[in-house]
Amino acid sequence: MAVNVNNVNKERSWFWKKIGFWFVPVKRGTLGPEEWAKVRKLSRTAKRRTRRLFTLLWAPALALEIAVSLWVVRIDPWAGLMSAAWLVVLMGLAVRAIRIGFAQVSLEDRAVMEYGAEFDALKEKQRGEVFQQAVRDGLFGRVKIDEHEAEQRLRAQGAAYRLLGPALVVFVAGYWAVCLLGPFAATRSALAVTGMVVTWLVALVLAAPTMIRMWTQPDEPEETAAGE
Amino acid sequence: MSLHNRIAVLRAERKLSRAALASSVGVNPQTIGFLERGDYTPSLELAFKIAEHFGLPVEAVFSPRPFRTLSEQVYELHKREA
Repeated sequence: MAVNVNNVNKERSWFWKKIGFWFVPVKRGTLGPEEWAKVRKLSRTAKRRTRRLFTLLWAPALALEIAVSLWVVRIDPWAGLMSAAWLVVLMGLAVRAIRIGFAQVSLEDRAVMEYGAEFDALKEKQRGEVFQQAVRDGLFGRVKIDEHEAEQRLRAQGAAYRLLGPALVVFVAGYWAVCLLGPFAATRSALAVTGMVVTWLVALVLAAPTMIRMWTQPDEPEETAAGE
Repeated sequence: MSLHNRIAVLRAERKLSRAALASSVGVNPQTIGFLERGDYTPSLELAFKIAEHFGLPVEAVFSPRPFRTLSEQVYELHKREA
């Protein structure tokens, strides 16, 4: 559903107008044109090349995080749980920040929407307000999800699910192969119980979209004769 | 199927910013950019809103086939009138 971006400004409460400045590390009237140019450059979404580089770097970082968690959990299960939880929270925050970044309106567009003028033509105080609003929206996730953004998210989720499906099946098959054929005679039954739980979880995850569709899809209308 | 549009031309013609058009039709300004570059096919609802904003029929703004340039069309019109 489309959302009117104008409403963002109309809905803004006095709290954000009066107290919002506290949340932003820029004081009114302290930035010159060069600093503003840097701020504007930084505030734009990174180019695809940079984003892809970050995505590629993320995979080894994640592998390292998992390795650290596995190392810690063998020493102390509680410490392992805490370490994994901390890393998952950090990753969640990073993913959230990226998602917000994609839906953020640029400073230039904000200037036009807010004051009806180009960013360069604004007064220093107005530039500060535009920037602060952008930072606040980024921090608190106050971004508008319009139809394009919603579709992009849906498409990304679909692609992730399509990758996840075969990956989970391969993981479960590998787990059972190691569990049944590996030299774990003493712990085989415990491993098999875990394997059974994982197998059913994977089956539920993979069946979930179809189940949801069965629940939500409306009935087909009955065929009517032409001319009726 | 990709959908071609004349949004950039219409916007330039009417000196309308991306933000202003976006605000009027209820999307983010970057969505207008994606539409203009052909990176996004709008919903029917959005296509009609945009056409309505410009006061044109939807087929004058969106087309499944590439639009001919306005200069070509104007030239042909002149030729036909002559």
